[in-house]
Amino acid sequence: MNRVAPAQQPLPRTVIFLDPAHGGPDPGAHLPNNLLEKDLTLAFATRLRALLASSGFTMVSTRDADPTVSFTTDQRAEIANHGHSNACLVLHATSSGNGVHVITSSLTPPNELDGPHTTVPWNAAQSASIPQSLSLANEIGLSLQRAKIPVILSRSSLRPLDNLTCPAVAIEISPFTSPDGDRTPVTDATYQQNIAKAIAAALTSWRSRQIPVGAAK
Amino acid sequence: MIPRYQRILFWSLVAGILLMAAFLLHGCEQAHKRLATPNDPTPIAAPTSSSTEDVTLYLANDADASITPATESFALPQEPSARARALIEHLLSTYSLPASAHPLQGGAAVDDVFLLTDPQPAIGARPGQLAVINLRGSFLDNHPSGIQVETLTVQSIIGTLHAAFPQVTAIRFLVDGQPHDTLAGHADLLHTYPATDTTAKPIPPSGN
Repeated sequence: MNRVAPAQQPLPRTVIFLDPAHGGPDPGAHLPNNLLEKDLTLAFATRLRALLASSGFTMVSTRDADPTVSFTTDQRAEIANHGHSNACLVLHATSSGNGVHVITSSLTPPNELDGPHTTVPWNAAQSASIPQSLSLANEIGLSLQRAKIPVILSRSSLRPLDNLTCPAVAIEISPFTSPDGDRTPVTDATYQQNIAKAIAAALTSWRSRQIPVGAAK
Repeated sequence: MIPRYQRILFWSLVAGILLMAAFLLHGCEQAHKRLATPNDPTPIAAPTSSSTEDVTLYLANDADASITPATESFALPQEPSARARALIEHLLSTYSLPASAHPLQGGAAVDDVFLLTDPQPAIGARPGQLAVINLRGSFLDNHPSGIQVETLTVQSIIGTLHAAFPQVTAIRFLVDGQPHDTLAGHADLLHTYPATDTTAKPIPPSGN
């Protein structure tokens, strides 16, 4: 008797919101080699998008080029919230610190006694997703650690992070200083690619945890 | 044949020349070291007749994103608003020292600090004062840009103010007298921050 192999169920659609921060008249930080943060976040988003697309994720992005007029942080949050994203990544870069900073909103989760139908203010929209955001940040942190990239998990009050309703983290790339004192700048393509791979691996692992047991069968 | 006294004179002069050359080289090295050392822009403390007191500064470290309380002793004015302003100025000037773990440029950073009765305390929060810190635009212009570095500055100010003024329950920021969106492109300055102990030591990701 021939056994028919069970048909492999397609993975549920997982939407990732990517926000390369700054853009247009807002250059962000001035990085070494006359590079602007807005250009680096865009280049990094392109790398990450390619890796995530090959892993079967659907992407929603706030920009694929440097627009003349960029979206405000509120408009970026609206795009993410209307797109019903499963995870939101806000991408930044800096020339201070070491490794990658994975930042979660400093808002506190709403009080359970308030009930499920309490109106959530726009400035605290992220509060209901804080536990999932912390879990996502931890998953990305672990993946970066496995890739031997220093990582710091922290909390901050930041727009549009505070206005997002999806599990959300801000990822800030900073230079990598090895224990020997060798410094890799944020502009290094290999360094960026390693970070992008680690984030893609973390999201793949995170997606497998988020899928209900029934959906995988 | 050279007379003995001339030989003694000759070798004495040679020894003198060598000593002077060594002294000159040593002086050059000292001067080079002095010039190569980063300048300490801290102004010399003005002479004061008031007594010093112990104050806790919440000091940030960029390398590990930590904020650690440290006690220092210096003189502060007694009037609360002037005291708060002097305290924050002292904190921020600490960051302009060459060995700072959270380097910021020196110079005046705070125009005023206003201590007001909080008209809208958060629901469930204890009544207290609202501190409004009016920063100078020049301080923002020279502040490094980045989420972590800006957040550390804000949290360092909040922790230091909270330790010195326990009656302050909330903190807001202005820049040149106006509301301003961010410190240097990232940390939110439109937010009203609760005044809390901001000691922080980020924990590494856990694998459970």
